[in-house]
Amino acid sequence: MAENKNNYAVHVRGVSKTFGAGTTAVTALKSVNFDAREGELLMIVGPSGCGKTTLLSTIAGTLQFDAGEIDVFGSALQKMSKSQTTAFRRQNIGFIFQEFHLIPTLSAVENVSVPMLINGASRAAAEKKAHALLAQVGLEGRGHELPTSLSGGQQQRVAIARALVHEPRLIICDEPTSALDKENGARTMELLQQVARAPGRCVVVVTHDNRIFKYADRMTEMEDGRIARVHEIKDGQSPEFIPN
Amino acid sequence: MYHIALKMLLGNRSKYIVLVSGITFSTLLMTQQCAIFCGLMLWTTGSIQNMRSKIWVTDPKVEQVNEVRQLRDTDVGRVRSVEGTAWAVPLFWGLQQAKLADGTFKQIQLVGLESATLVGRPYDVVAGRIEDVRLPNAVVIDELAIIRLSAGRAKPIGLGDTFEINDREARVVGICRTAKSFFGMPYIFTTYDQALQFAPKTRKMLSFILAEPAEGWTAEATARSIERATGLRAYTENDFFWATIRWYFRNTGIPMSFGITILLGFAVGVAVSGQTFYTFVLENLKHLGALKAMGASDGLLARMLILQALTVGFIGYGLGIGLTSLFGSLVLKKGEPPFMLPYQVPLGALAVVLFICIFAALLGIRQIRKLEPAIVFRG
Repeated sequence: MAENKNNYAVHVRGVSKTFGAGTTAVTALKSVNFDAREGELLMIVGPSGCGKTTLLSTIAGTLQFDAGEIDVFGSALQKMSKSQTTAFRRQNIGFIFQEFHLIPTLSAVENVSVPMLINGASRAAAEKKAHALLAQVGLEGRGHELPTSLSGGQQQRVAIARALVHEPRLIICDEPTSALDKENGARTMELLQQVARAPGRCVVVVTHDNRIFKYADRMTEMEDGRIARVHEIKDGQSPEFIPN
Repeated sequence: MYHIALKMLLGNRSKYIVLVSGITFSTLLMTQQCAIFCGLMLWTTGSIQNMRSKIWVTDPKVEQVNEVRQLRDTDVGRVRSVEGTAWAVPLFWGLQQAKLADGTFKQIQLVGLESATLVGRPYDVVAGRIEDVRLPNAVVIDELAIIRLSAGRAKPIGLGDTFEINDREARVVGICRTAKSFFGMPYIFTTYDQALQFAPKTRKMLSFILAEPAEGWTAEATARSIERATGLRAYTENDFFWATIRWYFRNTGIPMSFGITILLGFAVGVAVSGQTFYTFVLENLKHLGALKAMGASDGLLARMLILQALTVGFIGYGLGIGLTSLFGSLVLKKGEPPFMLPYQVPLGALAVVLFICIFAALLGIRQIRKLEPAIVFRG
């Protein structure tokens, strides 16, 4: 990985993305500039269709953008080939999805071990680490259970363990609490906050859920494919003017 | 990741069962029908198997063993005189009528062996002695004849019993085991001279001449030598075997009929397994997308799909071959329908099953290649 001189975890400059062509073309990102720092939990908020998920996808390297530059921990995504981007994601990015995307036929420990296996770790090493991670997220002794036998909150904790098992530097979260009740949502965000505080890490969260705004270090508000405002959050106070 | 691929497959129990069943049924249909077809084709060469001879001499127009155009008696001497021939003997073969104890008639295949040498004799005599066939009116019957000719008797026909062939008494002096024939009629062996007495008189009675190559001559060379010198047709045993099978291929609807069923088996395999596997991939697309987002390469995901498809293929193939073998073992005990499973049939079926699996996997791989990992962020 390239040297990260500016302490930016994610550095986005002039990124644009248009879906479709001609009269049906929809521009989702319009020359977006955006930064996320190491050691922070950054939230991207805004109304539906404003481009939050598209921005998250481009930062994660899962969606190609049309113009601009994205550096993630000093590595320029726009200069990478498809296979290099895949390898970069494999090593450096952890994912937490809105719908968890746990594989229903695998046990919790097997689900958690998947990123390590993709990175070429042995099954024994991956499962040992997965057990340790499950214990960290409060699911000790539940590793053999299938996702269907776990509650929504427990499934999300399995997903968090999966996102962390290969020790990625950037954690990408898409609506991590939308399927959870207040209590489980709070526990999930506390966990993510701890992760973000670890050295050399960054957590980027896309959310609509105003109950969790207080866990952010900064909030980036999007409107119509652009960054409208950036808010520093102090003492856990969420800015009331941000739309729900 | 390969154990993950297998767990993804085996965990979806209903899809897994449909996939394996599709391949099993397809394999069963293809191999069982091929085996029956091969068995039927083998039956067409029953006479060649029962009257072993290195060279068969026939009328020039004869194309297969079940087609007889009589030769002149003098042709035996002509063949004996050909360079490269060690010896040559006459053989009578013809469909005749046997009258049973209850007055009904059954068709039989009457074989007349040269009385001095008994060349063309059955290879497995299970009761009596083949040499006794030289006794007046003596015949050796095969095991099928016991079933077919016992009607109206208190006990199955056996040694010492008599029946009529074309109004002439025949006495059973031996029982032999023979390969089944295409006509499904029993073989009755007697001497050549007695066969001419049993059969209705015609101008020419000699069906085949069986010959042996001289020392230092191959069967092929002797056959060519006989053809050049006599103008008759001379087949080696192997050539006659394949000429007979080729004739049935070209001149009957049997291959077409079996071919359609075999194609149906293939179509079932492609349709059921291909479609089910494709649906399985589509159902797992979100999970595969998540794996792709997490950094699984297209190559890794493709290998996982191929492993899943091959696992289903090999299990289904094994079950299909097992069922075919079970069918075969039951059928062979009973004797009908015809069944022969040469190694080429399971090998061919394996190739077809592999094709079906690879085809099914390719459908899935195509989806994976098109799959954008960003799909996981869409609701």
